[in-house]
Amino acid sequence: MINEQWKNIHIARRNSAEMLDKLTKAVAHLTASDTSIVVSGSLARFELTSGSDIDWSMLLDGSSDPRHYQVFQEIATAVGGLAAKDVGREGTFGSLVSSHDLINYIGGEGDTNSNTTRRNLLLLESCSVGSDEAYHRVKKNLLQRYLAEDSGIWRKEVSNKLPHFLLNDLARYWRTMTVDYAYKERTRGGRGVPLRNLKLGMSRKLIYVAGLLACYQCHLAFNDEERNAFYAEKNVPGLVALMHKTLQQTPLEITACILRRFPIHESASLQLFEAYDLFLGLLLDEGIRAHLEKLHSDHSEGDPIFMRAKKIRRQFQQAISEIFLTESSELGRFTIRYGVF
Amino acid sequence: MKHVGFSTGAISLGDFEQAIRLLHDLPGDAIELSALRVNEIGPLIAALPHLDLCRYEHISIHLPSNFSADEEAAIAELLWGLPRSWLLILHPDVIHDFSIWRRFAGRVAIENMDRRKSRGRTAEELDRCFTQLPEARLCFDIGHARQFDPSMAEAYLILSQFSDRLAQVHVSEVDSQSRHAVITYAAELAFREVAHMIPMVTPLILESRVLPEQIPSEMRRAFNLFRPSIFAT
Repeated sequence: MINEQWKNIHIARRNSAEMLDKLTKAVAHLTASDTSIVVSGSLARFELTSGSDIDWSMLLDGSSDPRHYQVFQEIATAVGGLAAKDVGREGTFGSLVSSHDLINYIGGEGDTNSNTTRRNLLLLESCSVGSDEAYHRVKKNLLQRYLAEDSGIWRKEVSNKLPHFLLNDLARYWRTMTVDYAYKERTRGGRGVPLRNLKLGMSRKLIYVAGLLACYQCHLAFNDEERNAFYAEKNVPGLVALMHKTLQQTPLEITACILRRFPIHESASLQLFEAYDLFLGLLLDEGIRAHLEKLHSDHSEGDPIFMRAKKIRRQFQQAISEIFLTESSELGRFTIRYGVF
Repeated sequence: MKHVGFSTGAISLGDFEQAIRLLHDLPGDAIELSALRVNEIGPLIAALPHLDLCRYEHISIHLPSNFSADEEAAIAELLWGLPRSWLLILHPDVIHDFSIWRRFAGRVAIENMDRRKSRGRTAEELDRCFTQLPEARLCFDIGHARQFDPSMAEAYLILSQFSDRLAQVHVSEVDSQSRHAVITYAAELAFREVAHMIPMVTPLILESRVLPEQIPSEMRRAFNLFRPSIFAT
């Protein structure tokens, strides 16, 4: 599906498959039908490099059992033995997560930063290790909420069949990531800012791109006749099934699958993937990654490695702008109409 | 009554004769004779000539939910002589030898399973079973489907993919302990999401564990959900 010429993407995919295999051997026996180990971040995107951490959480969707905490500790020990680094310090990962909050607190006071992050990442960049029943069940229930409660998509007079509730939450999450970037710069100082800046403009932006494209699938997956028939009734389970299938793919796969249907964007699509491959190439190089991790924002502007990274990020942004911010196809028209304002 | 009725196991577990007696004066033109334990199937087959089933337009038999490979052929042999129009409800996870059931062709209906089972819960898992039993039909258990996936996306996939095999629907609440119970409001809301995909002529068998006095109201609930236009008249 993804062109063989992008060797860094393929190396990162192979790394991820190997790590998921190791994780499965280490922790699969600790899962059950009402608990799943959910992996996020670069591993779930199939973009693992040697310096990547393993973002994970134990998802509970069933009867509460005090022993879940002991299971959680066993998992933490096993994952810790495999990870290159500890999980992030915000407490979003490496934790026990209840499906109740993910599904019921969308917006409002109960929707904390961690909850928003976990919910959006569950949809946009996640996979499970071991028993996947709870994982898929929660993901589908979450989609059910967004799609059943969407006020626009089921209205007959609305011709663009897009899930506004979901799309707006994904857009909000993208903006949350950009705001959190500034928050981390303030609270952690300037060290490592250039690397976070690069990730924000590449991998974080990619998941928003993939999220938008997944939303567009609600319209693009059908020809006019099929779409009229599908949306003639409020067919929420059918749409949940379609979105769940789409979101089982990694962000790069979603992007590739949908962009390939638009020959008009072929050149920009190639540029997008080439830039992403170069970005992963930087992260796969241990020396470059270590340099960027240590680099302080005060010294980044004259730094030749960061300048190279910035050029890649610009190439990626140009490709995105060409595809999503021009009206030459539905992708641009939808983004301008629904993804910006 | 448009093919709606109860499973004898729901009315009186392990005592089909008592269940038939309790159902005698109540509405319903469909019935499922339940032999969920392997030692119940022999007595059920032996008693059939003496049971008054003439009022039922749709009859099915629920086969045991567990049997050994040694017992499988003998059970199939017992069933072979039954009327061809009777549907035989079979759990996919109990099958040891598919060739034994292949000769029953469309007389066998495979039931989708609840969360406890490792086979037959999803459209994908059912498809593997139907590959082995190409002529078998589907007994869609809407309670099992909801318990496995409350979003009803899996129910949608099963009903879309196997609409041509659909021969009967099992209706009940299935709780987190996988017990069949009276249909709750939450289950009603979920069932409504796919009710339009179930043709009006498809027999409905209620598996809700009810007291005799709850039978009419549970039947009315099922009618409201799956036969709304008929109930309105």
